[in-house]
Amino acid sequence: MGRKPPITNRVRELREQHGAMTQAALGDAIGVTRQTVIAIEQNRYSPSLESAFRIARLFGVGLEDVFSWDE
Amino acid sequence: MSFREKSAWIMSAALIVGGLIYFLPVLSGWTGSGQLPSPLMPQLVAYTVCLVTIAIVGHIVITALAPKEADAPVDEREKLIFDRAGHYSSYVLAAGVLVSLGTYLLSANGDLLFYVVFASLVASHLAEYLLQIVFYRTSV
Repeated sequence: MGRKPPITNRVRELREQHGAMTQAALGDAIGVTRQTVIAIEQNRYSPSLESAFRIARLFGVGLEDVFSWDE
Repeated sequence: MSFREKSAWIMSAALIVGGLIYFLPVLSGWTGSGQLPSPLMPQLVAYTVCLVTIAIVGHIVITALAPKEADAPVDEREKLIFDRAGHYSSYVLAAGVLVSLGTYLLSANGDLLFYVVFASLVASHLAEYLLQIVFYRTSV
């Protein structure tokens, strides 16, 4: 409880590069709530593999271009 | 704040208010006369009406404020939050059951057994909603 996941991401950066897509729009596109998108961007939640792929495919990049393991 | 976090706040408030309405007269009767009052149906009805009223009115209000969020299905993070909160709150209920059994073994008082079991049930539900709020605000 309370421990941050060891995975960082560029979701916020990619979202802003894609026409300043809103968190709600991204949430609708991948099937999660806006609050979950916020939690992902703040590294408070690591999304499921399915959602991670949905995010990467939405932005047209590879999975490792979005998520990386924080040593 | 998500719809379901607001819902958890409402249910927490309902359980706290209902619990106070139910248990305060019991405690004051107990400390006043030294005799534990027997569980009465009107108190249970008052508790239930209070709980249901707060829950219904609260959910009508938050649904009216964000109807789209209210209709949205539970997502993967929320499922995880509910699973974890339910898991940890089950320990509260289990502890309450053990305390209830011990209380009855030591006192052989059926009225006290009723109150401790009922308090355990309320406490475990309250713990579940409060843990949901904590998990919504921290990492899961």
